[in-house]
Amino acid sequence: MYWYHWITLGSLGICFANSLVHFLRLIRLGKPMDYSSPAGKIIPSIQYSFTGAMNPVKKESAFLHLPTYFAGIIYHLGTFLSILMFFLIWSDLPLQDILIYSIVSFLLISFSCGIGILIKRLLKKGLRDLSNPDDYLSNLLVTGFQLMTGIVLLWNQAYPAYFILSSLLLLYFPLSKLKHAIYFFAARYHLGFFFGWRGIWPPKKLERNGGWEN
Amino acid sequence: MGELNKEQIRKGLQVFQNLSDSKLITHLNSCVHCGLCAESCIYYLATKENRFTPARKVDIVASIYRRYHTITGKFLPGLINARELNEETTDEMVDLLFGACTMCGRCTMHCSIGVDIEYLVRVGRTMLSNMGMVPATLQSTVNAAVETGNNMSIPNDEFIATLKWMEEELIDEVNNPNAKIPVNESGKRILYTLNPREPKFFPLSISAMAKIFFAAGESWTLSTQMYDVTNYAYFSGNPDEARLIALRLWNEMGNLNAQTLVLAECGHGSRAFRWEAPNYLQEHFPFEVKTSVECIADYIREGKIHLDPEKIKDVVTLHDPCNLVRSGGIIHEQRYILNRFIANFVEMTPHGIDNYCCGGGGGQLSMSEYNERRMKIAEIKARQIRNTGASVVVTPCHNCVDQLNQINVFFKLGVRIKTLAEIVADALILDTESP
Ligand code: SF4
Ligand code: SF4
Repeated sequence: MYWYHWITLGSLGICFANSLVHFLRLIRLGKPMDYSSPAGKIIPSIQYSFTGAMNPVKKESAFLHLPTYFAGIIYHLGTFLSILMFFLIWSDLPLQDILIYSIVSFLLISFSCGIGILIKRLLKKGLRDLSNPDDYLSNLLVTGFQLMTGIVLLWNQAYPAYFILSSLLLLYFPLSKLKHAIYFFAARYHLGFFFGWRGIWPPKKLERNGGWEN
Repeated sequence: MGELNKEQIRKGLQVFQNLSDSKLITHLNSCVHCGLCAESCIYYLATKENRFTPARKVDIVASIYRRYHTITGKFLPGLINARELNEETTDEMVDLLFGACTMCGRCTMHCSIGVDIEYLVRVGRTMLSNMGMVPATLQSTVNAAVETGNNMSIPNDEFIATLKWMEEELIDEVNNPNAKIPVNESGKRILYTLNPREPKFFPLSISAMAKIFFAAGESWTLSTQMYDVTNYAYFSGNPDEARLIALRLWNEMGNLNAQTLVLAECGHGSRAFRWEAPNYLQEHFPFEVKTSVECIADYIREGKIHLDPEKIKDVVTLHDPCNLVRSGGIIHEQRYILNRFIANFVEMTPHGIDNYCCGGGGGQLSMSEYNERRMKIAEIKARQIRNTGASVVVTPCHNCVDQLNQINVFFKLGVRIKTLAEIVADALILDTESP
């Protein structure tokens, strides 16, 4: 292990410990206690919250903003791929050239999506007014991480820079909006709980004879 | 707004403590500032003002949380826009959370992450309520309910006189001298409630529901002590006052020994009692609670009432009250009822859980200082109604009726606004052998 590995390992530990604190707090606080009588079922609704309710056809945040929506999806896929590559790069597992070029090509696309989202944030007044420095910094770190992953796959001289950037990202994660990676799941869970309890999700169809079906 | 004192700030910040579950922490930490919720909100759609986007309402509450409850907010507040709870912030909060949100929850359904935006608006309103900063107009509606038992301060003798008058109307209408509007009768199956707008402005809706009960042969009563289904403290964000108002209705069920509480056509009132009251009081209902919409649907399903499909020839559309539908789960019953007897029923686009608020929710009808803004956002609903080509708009909510009546005049729509009970009562086939 080189010095930069040690730095990254330390950062990974700090990131993990901090994230664990957030996660454990959510677990400790637990699920809602609702005294009203439920009108529906929680589990199918939570499932729906993560599936059908996320369908872009159902969400204005998706179908009214298709370019941003797809850019966001690709960007997030690029992030997951970069995280996977982080562990592969660290473990020095050999990869076939064709796989490397495919991954790098995808990361280039996801990197462009990240830059596109950043430019949109800078250019659109409404979005600019909503943004704080963390919104820009989080984007830059993640987009940079994707770029560096691609670079390091092609050119291993970039290892120190890659691991330093990874360390910065890991240290910044729990302090910033990036921790929505944890809270996203909790938010979908709570939404599923709320709408399931009240019998709103999953949606029921109105039948002609007046009954309803799931 | 005057300078805040330490005690106000302490009370305001209390909402972030004493957490009972992980919901608040979750939603305060989830927004990614993507801004994609803007077009789901009638305030933004109608005004195109960026400050009215749902994300800004989330952010003002979350920014205060970040300032006092996160490491970054304590040491690097500028990095994450973590804001102090001060006069500037609270002025903006009052304007955004009270003056620019009907708490319709539409944005929540469409948020890319799943942030419960409406819930955070309510949390923000509770902060302001703790600090004594609820707009005076809204607070006076709450005070009226707390002090007089109904939000319109209707004196009891006036209420009783109105009921007597409506009973005479009912007798004429059903042509049966035995028809009555029972008052304070113990041991009935149903205790029925009212929105005080009914005795005050729309008394015929009382006789309409009485006619339905009569036709169904129902055992029911009204209470003169506690009949108000509304709970404006739900909107002002004051849980103590909300609890007090809910408790009165709860107790009246016991006093009159009724089995089922039927909530009148009132979106927020239904929500505040059916879904929130047990949590305000931390008790499970010892009795059955249902909305009048479900009650009417059951009568039809059970064959207790019959409707004449030839009676209403108009093109009819339906406005879905947000708190009854999107947050209350009463989505199909009103459609089931209307489809039984309305030949020309047209849905609005969008409708159901995706509907647009009429603009009168969230206590907006009480807060006259925002009247101009309220009528501006109402253009979304006006356009929806116009596009249906309907001449009658039905809605199971008296607050919505009030706002829709104003929309009708303001935008010269030339439609008639009716509650569900009213249109059902119009088409009732009366069994001459009814009691
Ligand atoms: S709850 Fe309704 S009015 Fe309030 S921000 Fe969301 S969409 Fe707008
Ligand atoms: S859509 Fe949701 S996550 Fe995006 S800005 Fe609006 S509230 Fe925040």
